[in-house]
Amino acid sequence: MKFGKFLADKIAEIIISLIAWLIIWNFLAVFHIGIWQIFIIGFTYFSAEIIKILWEFLRKKHFYDSLISDCEKLDRKYLLSAMTDSPDFYEGQIFSEVLYSTDKSMCDHVNAYRQQTREFQEYIELWVHEVKLPLSALMIMCHNNPEISGKYTQQIRRIDDCVENVMYYARGENAEKDYLIKEITLKSAFNASAVKNRAELQQHNVTIKTENLNLKVMTDGKWLEYIIGQLIGNSLRYFSAERDPEINIYAVETDKSVIFHFRDNGIGIPETDLPYIFEKSYTGVNGHTHTKSTGMGLYIIRNLCRSLGHDIKAESVRNVYTDIIITFGKNNFLRPD
Amino acid sequence: MSKIFIVEDEVSIRSELAELLANSGYETESLTDFQHSAENILKSDSDLILLDINLPHLNGEMLLREIRRKTDTPVIMVTSRTSETDEVISMSYGADDYITKPYNPTILLLRISALLKRSSKENIKNFYRNLQVNTAKGSLTDSINEIILTKNEMIIFRLLLDRQGQIVSRDDLMTALWDNEEYINDNALTVNISRLRTKLAEIGCENAIETRKKQGYILI
Repeated sequence: MKFGKFLADKIAEIIISLIAWLIIWNFLAVFHIGIWQIFIIGFTYFSAEIIKILWEFLRKKHFYDSLISDCEKLDRKYLLSAMTDSPDFYEGQIFSEVLYSTDKSMCDHVNAYRQQTREFQEYIELWVHEVKLPLSALMIMCHNNPEISGKYTQQIRRIDDCVENVMYYARGENAEKDYLIKEITLKSAFNASAVKNRAELQQHNVTIKTENLNLKVMTDGKWLEYIIGQLIGNSLRYFSAERDPEINIYAVETDKSVIFHFRDNGIGIPETDLPYIFEKSYTGVNGHTHTKSTGMGLYIIRNLCRSLGHDIKAESVRNVYTDIIITFGKNNFLRPD
Repeated sequence: MSKIFIVEDEVSIRSELAELLANSGYETESLTDFQHSAENILKSDSDLILLDINLPHLNGEMLLREIRRKTDTPVIMVTSRTSETDEVISMSYGADDYITKPYNPTILLLRISALLKRSSKENIKNFYRNLQVNTAKGSLTDSINEIILTKNEMIIFRLLLDRQGQIVSRDDLMTALWDNEEYINDNALTVNISRLRTKLAEIGCENAIETRKKQGYILI
């Protein structure tokens, strides 16, 4: 709160005081009161005025300055009223009350939406479980009737992938923590994903090389399995016709982290697209020229990685390779003995 | 013949599952009265239990805990619940394995067979003709000779031996290999099988593995 502006705001009051003083002065002069006495009266009058303005300024400055600094510090500014004490002056109290009621209304509003999203996510989870039942029945039916098995199973797998995408999209968007972090080997998550995608990988005759996947990381196994599944799906989509397809999966351990590499020898990602591939709905050149892409896959897995606290990035050279790199922090506090 | 008990409230899955298991040579019994689940399961005296989590009247995890108090029969949780939390809870209540729906039926059969072997409810075939099969050592021996099989060859031979006299599809062999972290491709499978044939021939078992066109292989 600036004094100059405060004073400018008080200009009307100051002019009224000056006019009042001029009237008093004339009145005193009419009664032949000495200049010395007039000076004393004037001094008292103006001192009182100045002190009044200063006092008011300081009270207000204290309240508004702390209000402004609290507001700046706050991430969710609508929680401001919870942070500030009610001031000791009347106008401020009115202001505080109004602020409190607007903030409360905002909080209610936000909570209603949060509740709605939460319920929506719960319904999605429930729905996914429901859909998985007929899918399971179909999977076994196909197996029991080997003459139709192959191509039908593949379509069922595709539906299952679509369903999982919805579920993990909802999980990634939701701020609630519904994952479970524990120590797992990279091998176990990769194996589950690879077995699931075996038919497609085999169809493309992909060579898979794994190295050093015995390393342990702190993560949610099911989420990681999904993330790797997505990476496999992406690789399958963007293999180059010029080479035999190959995926290299390996991990490197450093002091502070375990770095997981998922590297394929596909068509790569153009340099201009590389910074944006994890953004929502971003399809880029490959997404248009090679295959229909929704631009959601990498966005979802980046969200999941963020929730789990893993760093994810991509390196690529056009027509040579794409390497998706996930960094798992080592946190010894979380590690069971 | 091992007996498998199916706890699954979805009728279509239950009947298909029963057919799948029967085709693979298991006797099955299914739970139909979910009011007295635990008693019925215990009464059946099965060798292995397939247990769903979402059940009428009772949660599968609770049911598992109840069963575990009375018996150590192997239990595989088979569920559409895909969260890590459910798996951790199930395992801590004493489940032996956890498979999420929709699963690859071959994987389910492999896991069932592995568990039954571990609990020695299923006899492990350790002999083929006059050969002794040393799975852990990865070798086949007769009275004089020993041949060493690679990990892949052993996985293939084991599966063929477990289902001796039945056709095993390439797909099943691949699933078993991949499940054991051997991510080989089609050509490599063909190569592995022909090497296995050569090795078996060396030790006196000519024409042990026959090819059935478009169906798979069969160990005679």
